Amino acid sequence: MSSFLSRNRLILLAYAGMIVLLAVTAFFSPGFLSASNLRSTVVLAAFVGIVALGQTFVIIGGGIDLSVPWVLNTAAVMMTLMAGGGDAPLLWVLPLVLLGGASIGLLNGIGVAIFGVPPIIMTLAVNVILQGLILVYTGGSPTPSAPTLIKFLSVGRIGPIPVIALIWLLLTAAATILLSKSAFGRHLYALGTSVTVAEYSGVPVSRTAILTYVLSGSTAALAGMLLAGYSGQAYLGMGDAYLFTSVAAVAIGGASILGGSGHYLGTIAGALVLTILTGLLPALNLSNGALLVVYGAIILVTVSVGSEAWGEWWRAVSARAGSDRG
Amino acid sequence: MAGRSTARSFPFRSAHMDLVEAEGVSKRFGGIVALSDARFRARAGEVHALLGENGAGKSTFIQILAGVTRHDTGRILVDGADYAPTDPDGALARGIAAVFQELSLVPDLSVAENIWFRREPRTRLRTVRAERLRNDTEQLFQRYDFPSVDPDREVKRLSLAERQVVEVAKGLSKNPRILILDEATSALPQREAEWLLSLCRRVAEEGRLVVFISHRMGEVRRVADRLTVFRNGRTVGTHAANEISDDEIVTEMIGRHLDRLYPERHNTTTDRVALQVRDYKSGNRLKGVSFDLREGEVLGVGGLQGHGQRELFQALFGAARSSGSLVLWGKETEINSPRRALRGPSGVALVPEDRRGQGLLLTKSVRENLTLSVIRRFSRGGLLQGKREAMLVNEMVDFLRIKAATPEQPAGTLSGGNQQKVIFGKMLLTEARILLLYDPTRGVDVATKGEIFGLMRDLGAKGYAILFYSSDLNELVHVADRVMVLRDGRIAAMLVEGQISEESILRTAVLDAAA
Amino acid sequence: MTEISKTSPSDRATAQVERLRRIALDRAPFLVACLMLGLIVAIYGTYQTGVFTLDELNLNTTAAMTLILAATGQTIVLLRGGIDLSIGGMISLGTVIAATRFGDEPASALLWSLLILLLGLVVGVVNGMLITALRLQPFLVTLATWSILNGAAMMILPTDGGSLPGWWLGFGYLTVFGLSSTVWMLIALLLYWWWFTRTRMGIAIRATGSNERSAFLSGVSIGKINAATYGLSGLFAAAAALYLTTQTGAGSPTIGRDYILPSVAAAVIGGVSLFGGRGHLAGTVIGALVLTLIGNLVFILRISSYWQPVASGVILLVAVLASALAEKAARAHAQ
Repeated sequence: MSSFLSRNRLILLAYAGMIVLLAVTAFFSPGFLSASNLRSTVVLAAFVGIVALGQTFVIIGGGIDLSVPWVLNTAAVMMTLMAGGGDAPLLWVLPLVLLGGASIGLLNGIGVAIFGVPPIIMTLAVNVILQGLILVYTGGSPTPSAPTLIKFLSVGRIGPIPVIALIWLLLTAAATILLSKSAFGRHLYALGTSVTVAEYSGVPVSRTAILTYVLSGSTAALAGMLLAGYSGQAYLGMGDAYLFTSVAAVAIGGASILGGSGHYLGTIAGALVLTILTGLLPALNLSNGALLVVYGAIILVTVSVGSEAWGEWWRAVSARAGSDRG
Repeated sequence: MAGRSTARSFPFRSAHMDLVEAEGVSKRFGGIVALSDARFRARAGEVHALLGENGAGKSTFIQILAGVTRHDTGRILVDGADYAPTDPDGALARGIAAVFQELSLVPDLSVAENIWFRREPRTRLRTVRAERLRNDTEQLFQRYDFPSVDPDREVKRLSLAERQVVEVAKGLSKNPRILILDEATSALPQREAEWLLSLCRRVAEEGRLVVFISHRMGEVRRVADRLTVFRNGRTVGTHAANEISDDEIVTEMIGRHLDRLYPERHNTTTDRVALQVRDYKSGNRLKGVSFDLREGEVLGVGGLQGHGQRELFQALFGAARSSGSLVLWGKETEINSPRRALRGPSGVALVPEDRRGQGLLLTKSVRENLTLSVIRRFSRGGLLQGKREAMLVNEMVDFLRIKAATPEQPAGTLSGGNQQKVIFGKMLLTEARILLLYDPTRGVDVATKGEIFGLMRDLGAKGYAILFYSSDLNELVHVADRVMVLRDGRIAAMLVEGQISEESILRTAVLDAAA
Repeated sequence: MTEISKTSPSDRATAQVERLRRIALDRAPFLVACLMLGLIVAIYGTYQTGVFTLDELNLNTTAAMTLILAATGQTIVLLRGGIDLSIGGMISLGTVIAATRFGDEPASALLWSLLILLLGLVVGVVNGMLITALRLQPFLVTLATWSILNGAAMMILPTDGGSLPGWWLGFGYLTVFGLSSTVWMLIALLLYWWWFTRTRMGIAIRATGSNERSAFLSGVSIGKINAATYGLSGLFAAAAALYLTTQTGAGSPTIGRDYILPSVAAAVIGGVSLFGGRGHLAGTVIGALVLTLIGNLVFILRISSYWQPVASGVILLVAVLASALAEKAARAHAQ
């Protein structure tokens, strides 16, 4: 594990940043560290974290998924409509909606990996098409309220622990195993580091890329359903914020947008940082606008820390110092 | 020319009208000495050829002249004044323009836009005068009798040969006093190569200096007034072209090598054919080759760069499209992807040309690199068995004596030799027993070179079949059981034991029928 | 190897056909966009009278102009091989500054307009410098600056509102010689483009997007190119913001978001390559018109307006697939 951390300094930095942020928040807003507040922070972070899980895989593989918002909306709407407020149908509705999310991901992946459409365009197109289709389908009218079971999954508790935190934990374990302990994970990092080297090494390049989009579609769908439970019903536009936050969480978590590096454990820190900030700013009496400014600044700072430009600059300086001595 | 100079007389005669004078020029790239004590003199009005084996230092020397790299020590005078440009613009300011093999053309600009890029004639509105751009281009083409290329055509739509022609036009358009051509004919078909040679003469007759690198002896003979031979980063001598024989030139190019690097030769070739290749073509450089590679054999592939070797290796590995028949261990097979090539015990593995771009994930650990091709083998119920992987990795690290602090060290931080060992290890972990080694010792230290050759012989004894290309002829001579010399995408000769020598390879490779 | 040789007269006819084929393949994405626009206008014309009048032209360009301006900047960035998400933030910020600072005095409005344009330029240049100095991906840098600019807009004006002088609002509808000022603007924009792409800077931007290494080897300063490219993008985003306020009459801290991805889509539909080096503003304008007119079409056909995003998504996919296939065909052709 120590080698894992030494190779992922940026993830450590993300957690360090999170702890500092937590301390600062606690200082300005003493109530922040109360159990209930922490709980609600974790619940909100979980939504970001779950959406960002698929996004992490896509970005490690060198792509990006902009279809997240409307996959999320679609899943939420379809789930509430099909379940019609009852718990019993969830038995087939849950898997079906997850499968739907996966199929949308499959579509994205095929467009990108087989037809060579740039990921930005492919996922953007799928996003607006979904947006239109779901609007046509629902006619924009409100949907039935979410089934009790879903509400339990997103806001319920087992003892002191929110159920969704447990779900998040489970997903984290699965993602960590996939990234660190599976052949797929190795292939994924290879793909994101260098498509050519991966191809020359016999990695199934297209299949690996497609799977990341499938995963992203699935996690976005899951987050959509849970979010519907959290709000009590599905409303269109609930996914809008998650495009920015999912990408930002991955970037703050130390992954390179060019692919090949990063880990879901870092993304978790990113999701927590983004969520804690939303708690800090009201305490400082700052507006939503200020929050966005801070978000932007944090992204700039964190991605700059990982930039190779610093390494080169540092090498140049130390080389000069070395030659002066020599 | 006054006075007789032979290959052995002191080659640097002082002349007052020298346009370029270089003394003691040296250059290191990291730990590798590319150039040490290069000397060079050339006059206006001559075509001056630079000769030497691959890596002899001539390319580095002209890069310095062209302002692409800067020399470490030594002194260069142009027109008797100190010359040390920091970039190609600086070189041009002193009247020097170069045409390199690495093409500087922008794919989405037209031919005319490329030729005059950043020097376009402008109107008062500061817009480029398209009409004049086209006319200037056509005038330039006419003046030097260029092969017809549409000035409005986008460069990405041109063939390799046409691009090379445009690159020459770009160099000429700068109206240089010294024009440097780096193997400009290597991408050209016969007729265009002829044209380029006569162009060199024309340019020289206009009172300019043409510095000309070519591997084709016949061309050098036809076009050069004088020639300078490079070897191991030094200049060996400068001669008037009509006063030195081909044999003398080849001798100067080769010199003496250390032979102790190489393992004792013992031929382990069996009768079993591992790889049968018939009428095999790929791209526009590999024009049809047929040969058999046998179990236990090290089959060398020789020839000058750019004569189809790269395409042959790429195609056999499934990384480039090909046509023709391929029989692996007695079974007709089509290899259309590296993934297919690496599959199973009848597969094919490659040590690729570009270690950093094709062979290694530089930011990933030695362990991850070694097992990347076979990672599924360590998977039980979807989980990687870290212990089994680590064991095998350690074995491989020990076997190949890879010098890394731990297997977790990023591959990019290893020395060149150790990086190459990692690629060998990665290849050996696959089940493939046909190995394609493309210039495996390039940029590798001497000790590791020795180890690699020893390994190749051991693998031969174990029944592997090895296809081995090297840009260093000496290696082919000492390691290969047979040598197949490629010229213009075809097999020019298949040299067997007793015939293999640097002279025989070089002669087959350089002396085209016309010469 | 392809022989280069002088063509004999008998070959000339086939050569001419070849040439046309090549041009068709080169322009395929643009031609597809024209075809789509033609189709939309044709359907429009069959269901509605008075489509082919100046009034209708004026109306439609007015509806599309904000997107056209935003997409102009985006086109320059795409030609460079980058992407600029920050234009969304700049547009929002521009509208809120205008809506809160203009006042009623024409002089003050003019001054603030210039300041907004200057701000756009500066923000863009900073984007370009960050990308060069930190060697960061344009996507991340402009995502971050988008957030910052958007936040700044929200701090100035938390919700839609503010006001603009009455005379400012009618700007887009002023007609001169039968054409609205917007149409004249569009003409000016195309003239500007004609000029810009023929300057050394315009050519260097395209060259850098086509192949950064070759451009660098030919002596292009990449830092300068980045600053110019993103600077222009910011400038056009500011112009889009100003134009938008003549339409909406208010500032909005969130409205810019609606232009980020459509600006990319308009360019891509018009045949601008995401990989840099290829494209033209004419294509982008057609792409923007297609995206705008789809809305009208949906309205006229009396189908749910919700079909509009579906249609634009499908059009976007058709456009990229067309260009991908054309590229493949052209490459096979060149072999």
